[in-house]
Amino acid sequence: MNDQANPDATASPEAQATAPGERLAGRGRPAASLVYSNARRAEAGEPESLIFDVQGLKAFYGSFQAVADTTMAIREHEITALIGPSGCGKTTVLRCFNRMNDLIEGARVEGTIRYHGIDIYGDKVDPVEVRRRIGMVFQKPNPFPKSVFDNIAFGPRIAGYKGNMNDLVQESLTRAALWDEVKDKLRESAYALSGGQQQRLCIARAIATSPDVLLMDEPCSSLDPIATLRIEELMIQLTRDYSIVIVTHNMQQAARVSDRTAFFTVDVKETGMRTGRLVEFDTTEVIFTNPRQKQTEDYITGRFG
Amino acid sequence: MTDDPRPPSEIRHRFEAELDAIKRGAVNLGSLVLENAGRLSEALLESQLDLAQRVIDADDVVDRAYIDLERRIFKVIALQQPVAGDLRFLISIIRVGHEIERSGDLVVNCAKGILRQQGFRLTGRLQGVLARLCQAALDLFARGVDAVASLDPEAGPRLDQEDDTVDSLVGEFYTLLATEAEGMHVDTAIELSRVGRYMERIADHAVNIGEHIGFAVTGIFPRHGDIDEQQGPV
Repeated sequence: MNDQANPDATASPEAQATAPGERLAGRGRPAASLVYSNARRAEAGEPESLIFDVQGLKAFYGSFQAVADTTMAIREHEITALIGPSGCGKTTVLRCFNRMNDLIEGARVEGTIRYHGIDIYGDKVDPVEVRRRIGMVFQKPNPFPKSVFDNIAFGPRIAGYKGNMNDLVQESLTRAALWDEVKDKLRESAYALSGGQQQRLCIARAIATSPDVLLMDEPCSSLDPIATLRIEELMIQLTRDYSIVIVTHNMQQAARVSDRTAFFTVDVKETGMRTGRLVEFDTTEVIFTNPRQKQTEDYITGRFG
Repeated sequence: MTDDPRPPSEIRHRFEAELDAIKRGAVNLGSLVLENAGRLSEALLESQLDLAQRVIDADDVVDRAYIDLERRIFKVIALQQPVAGDLRFLISIIRVGHEIERSGDLVVNCAKGILRQQGFRLTGRLQGVLARLCQAALDLFARGVDAVASLDPEAGPRLDQEDDTVDSLVGEFYTLLATEAEGMHVDTAIELSRVGRYMERIADHAVNIGEHIGFAVTGIFPRHGDIDEQQGPV
């Protein structure tokens, strides 16, 4: 990892607690020249830059083991898709990436998830700070019962943002490809927007606190095909500045948008315990043209069972 | 999907049945061409003009079977969005269909040559070599069609090796033709050299069929090994 190119890599999150607006203005964000840096690093023979280095991750809810030993690397400026049948643990893994599972009673993890080299489950790490840097977009659009403007401004205000809020709202909405559609409706209720617009508003809201990773849990499952296409288009644009991990049941969506795909399955033990397991993780092209594992092939070709 | 009472493995039964029908369609197309090639071989060696005409007429059946096969593949790709092994299989069968259809056309070209020459009056030696050449080329083609039926991943390299026999017979045929051409009308000599060329091409198509099937099964092109190394696996 090139420390100069990415100061986040070694600094602790506490030391990084800059105001979101400052980051949005450029500090701490990968410079434009670093866009698609993975390819450039590969050319130079340097290792690719990782957002998450997951080693031996196991997730439990009480005595129930939801996810078996998972080791994978999520790369910077890429879209990584997690696919698999219901109960395979893909959403649990996604929620581990920003400690969302902390909010569930009895949930715990073993193993490590390093975010830019920092163990996010480490003792001194503040989960709120983790969630600010690693944003989440949910299955159903869930705007606050507030105006379009306040939906975006809410997070930064709580974080004590002192910059120009109008600019921040405009920039966030522009990045989420929604500005032109809502610029005259900023004071109207977010509920007045269409489903697809609401979902892009949620993406804009996630962006407003300057994360560098967006986690998406089936972000298009309640949208029509055109709204879905807009979100997919937006995701690809967003990889310029962010890294994205998406859980999707729509395999064609994983094939269309992602750079890498992880396939999870569910193992049922004699005791009836159902534990998710990572079967194969490779480039999306390999997964969909020539997967190495028969279980992956059976799933993506629709031969479940 | 969870509301469907059938076990999950049966839900795509129609899709699997269609894949199977497509495979049978490709094998059937190959059989039609082989059958026609058998007639051609007889017409060629024994100067049977009626049989040569039947070869030409039968090509319509081949073309219809080819178009039907391609339509089925196009439809299943559009409606079922196949991926991985299913996608490789369908793409391969499109290519295989094309190889077979082209081979069928070459058979017809030979038959037209017979009619133009009102049959070839071959010397015993020339007829002997030509008979062996037709036999070897059509044998190879039959084994290409077998590779489709059995989805044999090893067929490509094996057929490629066996194609050397066809190539050396073509060489032998040309050499002999050159010495025996003296007593022959120049058109006849040209027409015969074409027949040699067409048989060589039919054998090449058979090798290609084997390679396409290899790709369907393994995801690797034997032919494109050095390019694959540069670009990574498919």
